[in-house]
Amino acid sequence: MTLELVLSSVGCALLCYTLGRYNRALTLQRWQFVLNAPEREAIESLRQRMAVDSALARQALEAAGRAREASRPPDALTVLRVALSVLEEAGADRLTRLRAMGVYSRMVRAISPLPPPSAAPFQGTELRAAASVAGLVHRLLVGTQERFRLWLLVLGLGVRIVLRGGRRSADAAGREPQRLQHWDAFARGVDDFEALDACHLTAFEALAASLAAVDRGGRLRLWERIVGDAG
Amino acid sequence: MNEFQAGVALVVRLLLLAVLTGMLWRGKVRYCWAFAAYVLAALLGNTLVSLWPDRFFNPSFWMFKQGVYDVLKVAIALELAWRSFGAFPGALRTARRVLLALLAVSTLAIVWLGSPSSYETLWEWQPPVATAALWLLTVTALMVVWYQVPVNGWQRAIMLGLAPYLLVFVSLLGVLERRGWALAGEFFATAETLAYLALVAFWAWAAWRRDPVPAAAVPVGSLA
Repeated sequence: MTLELVLSSVGCALLCYTLGRYNRALTLQRWQFVLNAPEREAIESLRQRMAVDSALARQALEAAGRAREASRPPDALTVLRVALSVLEEAGADRLTRLRAMGVYSRMVRAISPLPPPSAAPFQGTELRAAASVAGLVHRLLVGTQERFRLWLLVLGLGVRIVLRGGRRSADAAGREPQRLQHWDAFARGVDDFEALDACHLTAFEALAASLAAVDRGGRLRLWERIVGDAG
Repeated sequence: MNEFQAGVALVVRLLLLAVLTGMLWRGKVRYCWAFAAYVLAALLGNTLVSLWPDRFFNPSFWMFKQGVYDVLKVAIALELAWRSFGAFPGALRTARRVLLALLAVSTLAIVWLGSPSSYETLWEWQPPVATAALWLLTVTALMVVWYQVPVNGWQRAIMLGLAPYLLVFVSLLGVLERRGWALAGEFFATAETLAYLALVAFWAWAAWRRDPVPAAAVPVGSLA
């Protein structure tokens, strides 16, 4: 009887928690997005946004470098902090999109296959190690959905690693403005962020292609079923 | 049956009627036919016991009706899962596997616990059967959230009502097992009746509640 009581309590708590938080309007909105399949414009707009973020961070980093070379460390550090804030804002945007892509990937039956994660495009040690481990795990996974979600996990982890490294480098440069090592580390972080953005875009394109692969008639029938049943 | 229990049974009967009429009036009956069958069975069981207590207010009839309710509760859980995932082949495939595994494990556990006497067996089956029905609902709820499958307010209310009631039911059976019918029988009957009253009141409110109109099917017309 004790076992049944424990199992019933756990089951009831899980059910009440999940269904209590369930938001039907949000679910319908998500299906609306899935069935409307993001178009080329959405991918293009993301590509442009990434280019702008990258240009802003790189411009701020170069301006900081120039100020440092002109022996104006306080100005250089101020501009370096601007570069870091650009990366932090862009990182928050990427993490939000990765979370959403994780939800949508569960709603789509087949995800276009992605290449295994590789350490090659990255420079940071932690990021290279994470990508190498993910590359090994990728070979052990069979389903394209699992592999896609592994990609999302690696990208999310990568953004966090780069942002942490960026903050560390900026703080170290504040303490020792003359040491080139910290400035180089920050510059490598910007390079890694750009490499992560390229992977982010590839994953987004794969998701969009998978959504678009569902035929129009099938999408129409599914939407009618969803709205009809949810009425 | 004492006066208090008879009074509560009358209120439960009225509320069950309200659930049934609400489901028919609002067109919610089509969202879970097994639930409609369960409400009808509960209404019939309540009416028989209330109107002819000498004939039907006894342990053997209680066991019989409880057996019918158990089958219908499992049917509700399976129908809700089928209706939720029917339109989503990927999710349906996983749901079928998980629910079949759960049913197989539950059946094995119940058969393992069974004793030779049929009356005793049916009594001993109550906690595992209630737990199995609860877990069928829980798995469905978890998969609904995992796959972001849309379920309507009525289906959600059925699950949200039944699960806590089943937990209360299993807990009360535990009290009954430890203390025995002579000491805890009256407490069990009263507490179970009150829990059921709360459940049926919640369902009556949900059955008559007007669900918000879903978003118009505008996007489909503009699909790429």
